[in-house]
Amino acid sequence: MSTMDFFTAMEVSASGLSAERTRMNVAASNLANAQTTQAAGGGPYKRRDVVMQSVDVPGVQRTPFAQAVKGVAVSQISQDTAPPRLEYDPGHPQANAQGYVAYPNVNPVEEMVDMITASRAYEAGITTMTTAVNMAERALGIGR
Amino acid sequence: MSIAPIAPFTPPVAAELPGITGAERSAARPDLAGSFGKALEDAHAAEHRATAAAEQFAKGDPGMGIHEVVIASEKANIAVRYATTLKNKALEAYRELMNTQV
Repeated sequence: MSTMDFFTAMEVSASGLSAERTRMNVAASNLANAQTTQAAGGGPYKRRDVVMQSVDVPGVQRTPFAQAVKGVAVSQISQDTAPPRLEYDPGHPQANAQGYVAYPNVNPVEEMVDMITASRAYEAGITTMTTAVNMAERALGIGR
Repeated sequence: MSIAPIAPFTPPVAAELPGITGAERSAARPDLAGSFGKALEDAHAAEHRATAAAEQFAKGDPGMGIHEVVIASEKANIAVRYATTLKNKALEAYRELMNTQV
């Protein structure tokens, strides 16, 4: 709907909410796989990271100002190239010739911080959205 | 004794009003029926999108998050209220005119 500029703020915060949801999913994936020694393609699970990109807001092409406003999208989910954590455990089925098992390069503390950041950013997006909706409602109430 | 005639009254035209240029005035003159129709169409489309989003979410579409469903219905809510507000304003203006004492 291009006629109502109130929806631009809503579209932008919606894109942010989607991006933060993806970040949350990635943090959950990293935490869940913190001990996964066997991943697709061989080797331990590799920590994932989201890469964000600013994008045009869909349905907003009317004014130069509106075009300057950008939404956000996850452009890719990259894999952390940091080396795996080696632990000595000769009895493990995935142990190498020296008896070391490669564990994922996931630091749970870091993931918790990522998760909290995503949660707070999501809350900020909701607040933006609520404010935009409130502004629209106030505008509809003019003269009443 | 001659009475001086009252100077002819020229109503202010839109071109003289601040902020409105003659070009803007001659371009598409908006009428309430047109904008109300447009608002109704928009509200209908927004409602349709909200229903579609809820349906997609219920079907388990991974691209459809909870917030998208809620936002779509909130947009529909605002669009419907916008249309209702226009309708109320039009009715109010009509009643005001109809109650004119002659």
